[in-house]
Amino acid sequence: MLCIAACTKDLEPSKDILLEGDELNLKGFGENYRKLFVLNEGGLGANNATLDVLRLQRGMYVRSAFRKMNPAVSGGLGDVGNDIALHGEELWMVINNSGIVEVVSAFDETEIAAIPVPTPRNIAFDDNYAYVTSWAGAYASGTYDDKGVYTITDSSNPKGCVYRINLKTKKVEGTVEVGLQPEGIALYGGRLYVANSGGISSQLPPLYAYDNTLSIIDAASFKLVQTIEVAVNLKSVWSDGKGAVYVTSMGNFWDAHTGLYVLYADNPSKVALVGSGTAIKPEALHVSCSYLADGAVYCIGTEDEFNWSVPHNYYIWSCKITDYASGECTISLYPQTLSGTPYGMAVVKASGAEADSKHYLVLGDAGDYFNPGTVSCYALEFNDGEKYWSVNAGVCPGHFAIW
Amino acid sequence: MLSILTVLWAALCMQTPDTLVAAMLSAPRDLPTLKPAEEIKVTGVEACGAAGISEAVKRFTGVQVKDYGGLGGLKTINVRSLGSEHVGVFLDGVQIDNAQNMQVDLGRLSLDGLSDISLYNAQKNVRLQSAKEYASGQALHLVSSAPRSDALWLRVRGGSFGTFNPSIVWDKCLGRIGLRASAGFVGSKGNYKYPYFDTTLVRENGDIKSLRLEARVCGTLDKGSWDVHLYGYGSERGFPGPVIRRASGFPFSAERQADRDLFAQMSWIQDWSEYWSTAIRAKYSNNYTHYATHPEKNPMAMPYDLHYLQQSAYISAVQSYAVDYKWSFDLAADLQWNSLRSDAFLSRNPRRLCFTGALAARYKAESLRFCAHLAYQGARDGGEGEPLRAWMPSLSFAWEPLEWMELDAFAKRSYRLPSFNDLYYSLMGNSSLKPESAFQSGLDLFIHTNSGPWRWEGRVSPYYNRVSDKIVAIPTVSQFRWTMLNIGLADIAGLDLKGCATLTKSDFSSSLTLRYSYQSALDHSMPGSLTYGNQLPYIPRHSASADLLLKWRAWTLSWNTLYNGERWSRSANIADYHIAPWSVSDAQLSRSFELNALGRKISAVASLLVSNVFSFRYEIVQGYPMPGRSILASVSFQI
Repeated sequence: MLCIAACTKDLEPSKDILLEGDELNLKGFGENYRKLFVLNEGGLGANNATLDVLRLQRGMYVRSAFRKMNPAVSGGLGDVGNDIALHGEELWMVINNSGIVEVVSAFDETEIAAIPVPTPRNIAFDDNYAYVTSWAGAYASGTYDDKGVYTITDSSNPKGCVYRINLKTKKVEGTVEVGLQPEGIALYGGRLYVANSGGISSQLPPLYAYDNTLSIIDAASFKLVQTIEVAVNLKSVWSDGKGAVYVTSMGNFWDAHTGLYVLYADNPSKVALVGSGTAIKPEALHVSCSYLADGAVYCIGTEDEFNWSVPHNYYIWSCKITDYASGECTISLYPQTLSGTPYGMAVVKASGAEADSKHYLVLGDAGDYFNPGTVSCYALEFNDGEKYWSVNAGVCPGHFAIW
Repeated sequence: MLSILTVLWAALCMQTPDTLVAAMLSAPRDLPTLKPAEEIKVTGVEACGAAGISEAVKRFTGVQVKDYGGLGGLKTINVRSLGSEHVGVFLDGVQIDNAQNMQVDLGRLSLDGLSDISLYNAQKNVRLQSAKEYASGQALHLVSSAPRSDALWLRVRGGSFGTFNPSIVWDKCLGRIGLRASAGFVGSKGNYKYPYFDTTLVRENGDIKSLRLEARVCGTLDKGSWDVHLYGYGSERGFPGPVIRRASGFPFSAERQADRDLFAQMSWIQDWSEYWSTAIRAKYSNNYTHYATHPEKNPMAMPYDLHYLQQSAYISAVQSYAVDYKWSFDLAADLQWNSLRSDAFLSRNPRRLCFTGALAARYKAESLRFCAHLAYQGARDGGEGEPLRAWMPSLSFAWEPLEWMELDAFAKRSYRLPSFNDLYYSLMGNSSLKPESAFQSGLDLFIHTNSGPWRWEGRVSPYYNRVSDKIVAIPTVSQFRWTMLNIGLADIAGLDLKGCATLTKSDFSSSLTLRYSYQSALDHSMPGSLTYGNQLPYIPRHSASADLLLKWRAWTLSWNTLYNGERWSRSANIADYHIAPWSVSDAQLSRSFELNALGRKISAVASLLVSNVFSFRYEIVQGYPMPGRSILASVSFQI
C-alpha cells in the first residue's frame, strides 16, 4: 500500500493481457499508473478471497485474476485476504486463514512464491525483508525447519509475532514477539511500528481485554525496543515518510470511540490524539478505515459507531502534519457523504494540471458482506454527486494497491 | 377415517397403523386435522434403507437437509425455505429446543423407540397439543412407540469409515405400566475420501463417539395415560472444518466438541368426560457443551476453549372441550425458562422466560373440516430490554368432495424469536431485534384409489411463503465483529408433487414413490442490489426423489434415488458460488429369519445398505464434501 513504484506508461505485453473483464470509462482516474489491484477478503471459511485487477490504460476490470492466471494453484487465492502491498514488481498478498503470504508478479499475477505464516495479518517492507504481523502467538508459536515445516513449540502464550521474510529467498528468517493479535505495521527510519489489537483476546477467557499498545522493533537487530500505550484496540499504522507515525484505534464498540493517533519517530512516547487542541473535537473524528496517500492520512468514519442497528452515514476526513516540531496539522473534512457499507479505501492523486488540487477516492463497499461488493471511484475534494466509475468486485473488497 | 391417516409410507411399507392412533381417532372429540404432508412409520423407514431421521426426512417434498458430512456433521432441516430456525422438532408433543441457535441437529436423534415421524404442510391441529406446537412455523413431529409386550431388540450395525453402531431396546409390561430401557452407541472415524481440487484427500478429524441412554415408564389410567421419559446423550467429536486453501503443514482443523445432553420429560393426559380433557406436560433439560479449537495442534486455530451450559424448564397445560360431534375447542398455555451460561464473549449469561398461549377451534361436518387457532408468544430476557411479542393466527380448511379426493387450504403466520446467539453472542449484540416473521399459505389436493391389488395415491401442493424481518448476520468493521439485523425478506413460491403406487399379491408386494419439488425462493432484501430477485442460498429450484420397494417372502429390496438441482451458496447467483446438481442413490437388501434358539422364538433381520451406490462426489454445503460409496451391514434380533 505504501509502495508506489515509479510511474511508467509503458505497456509491456504481459501474459494477463487476454483476461477479459468489464470495460469502464475511468474519466481520468489513474492515468499515470498501470494497474489498480483489489484484494477481496471473502468470507471466513468460504475460501473466496480474490484478486481483481483494473487495467488503468484500457479501463478493463478483471475479476479473480489470480485464479485465472494460476489455474494450477489448488484452492485459488485462499481464505480471507487481509492485506496487499507492492514491492517493486512483486505484489504481496497476506491470506489470513490460509496461513499464506502469496507473492505474485505485478505484471501478470503469476505466482512467484507462497510462504506459510500462521494467521498472517499485515505487511511492510524494507530493502531486504518483508515483515508480516501474525496472530500465531495467540494460538501457538513455533519454528520452521530447513524444509519449511512448522512445529508448534508453545500454544499457551496469547501474544502475536512479527515474521521476517527474506525478499530474495522468500523464506521466514526469525520472529519477534509483540502484543495481542497484532494488526497494522509500518516502517520508518529502520524501525517497525506494530499495532496490537487484542481483538480476539477481548472476547475470550482469561483476559476478556483488548490490547492498547504499539510495539516498536529495531529492524536491523530484529528486536523489540519499546512498547508504547496508545489506545484500545489498535488497527492500522501509517508512516508519512517524514517522521510522523499514525495509528488508528477501533475503540471497543461500546464506550471507547475510534480515533487517529500520531506520534513522532524521534520521541515516540509522546502520543497525540488527532483533533486535540483544535476547533474540531477529536470525538468528532471517527475512523472505520484509513489510507495514507500524498503525505496525509485519509479516514472514513461514522458518528453512529456504537449503534449498528441503524443505517449509517459515513464521512471522509484527512490529517496532514504541517509542522513536525509543534505537531501542528491540517484536518480537512470532505463534502462527500457515503451510505452503504464502506469496507476499504484508497486515495489516488490526480495527474497533470489537477495534480495539486484533486484526489480520487476509491471505495470498496462490502454490501451485505456475504455476497460480492462493489468498487467505486469518487472525487474527494468536491461533491459532484456522482461516481466516476463503479464496478462489481468480489466479497468484501477491502484492500487496494496501485502500480 | 383410516384412509385419512393411513399415509403413503405406511401403506408403502405394509404397516398397519399404530393401534393407539387408531383408537384415539375413534373418540368423538378427536376431530381430525389436515392430513400430514408426509408421515412415515419408523419400521418402514428402516425397511426403506434409512439409518437415521435425517436420511428419512430428506426424501420429503419441500425439505432440504443441510448436511456437513459424516456421522458427526451437523444435520438441520429446512422446510419450504423458511429457514431451519422455523422448524420445531417435537418429541411426543414437547419441543426439543435450543435457545442458543434455534437449530436441532437431526444427526443426534435416534430412530430407536420411535413409531412415526410426520411433517405437516399446514398446521397439525389435534386435540391436546401444546401451545408451542401451534406457535412453530413448521414442525417435525416424532412419536415414541409405547411398550406393548415383553420384548428385547438387539441390533448391531457397522461398515465403512469405521462405523460401529450397536443398540438395544428392552420392553417390559407390568399390568397397566410399561417400561422401556434403551441404549445405543455410535462410533465412526469419518475418514472418507474426497476430491481436493485436483487430488484426493482423506477427511481428517471427522470422528465421533456417542452414547445414548433412555428410560421410559408409561401407563394407562381410567380414561387417561401418563408417560415419564429420561434421556441422556453424550458425544465427543471432531469438526473437520471447511475445505479451503491451507498452507502445507497446517491442518484444516483440530476442533473438538464434547456434549452431554440430559432431559426428563413427562406427560399426563386425562379425559374427565366424553367432552372434557386435560393434558399436562413438563420437561427439564440440561445440555453441556465443551468446544475447543486445540491451538496446540493447529497454529491456524483461533484459541477457543469454551464451555456452554444450557438449561430449560418447561410446563404446558392444555384444556380441550368438545361441544358436540362437530365443534371442539382447545386452550393451551406453555411457560418456558431458558438459560445459557458460557465463558465465551464476555461471559454473558442470558436468561429467557417465554409464555406461549393458544386458542384453537375445530369444526367437522359431513365432508368439510375447519381448524383455526390464534397463538401468542411473549418473551422477556433476563428482566432487561423490551419484551418480544408476537401474535400468530392460522386458518385451514379441508374438503372431501369425493371419497377419493380431498382438497386442503391453509394460511398461517408465525414468528421465531431471536436466539441467544442472535442477541448476545455476536460482539455487537443488537437488543432491538424483532422476531422473524413467516407467512405461509398453500393448497393440497390429495387423491387415492384402490383397485384390486393396486393402490394409488397422489398429492399436488402449490404454496406461497414470505419470510420478513429475517435476522441476518452482518459483520461491522471486520469479519470478526458481527451484528444481527432484521433486514432480510424472502418470497418463496413452490410446488410439491408426490405419487405412490403399491401392488400387493400374496407373497409379493412392491411400491414406487415419486416426489418432486419446485421452489422459487427469491431474495427481496435489498432492491437494486446484486442479489435482489436471486434464488436463496442452498435452495435448489428442482429436487426429486424416487423410492422403490420390493418384497418377496422374507426378502426386501429397496432403492432410493435423490436428486438436487443446481444451487448457489450465496444469493449472488454467480458462477463462483454455483453448486452443481447432485444425485445420490442408496440400495438396501434385507432378509428376515425366524429362529428357534434359547428355547424361544427369535425373529431376526439381516441387511446390507449401500449408500451413494455410484460414489457420486458432491457437496450439500459448499466446502464440506460428502462421502462417496459406503456400506453398512446390520443384524437385528427380536427376542
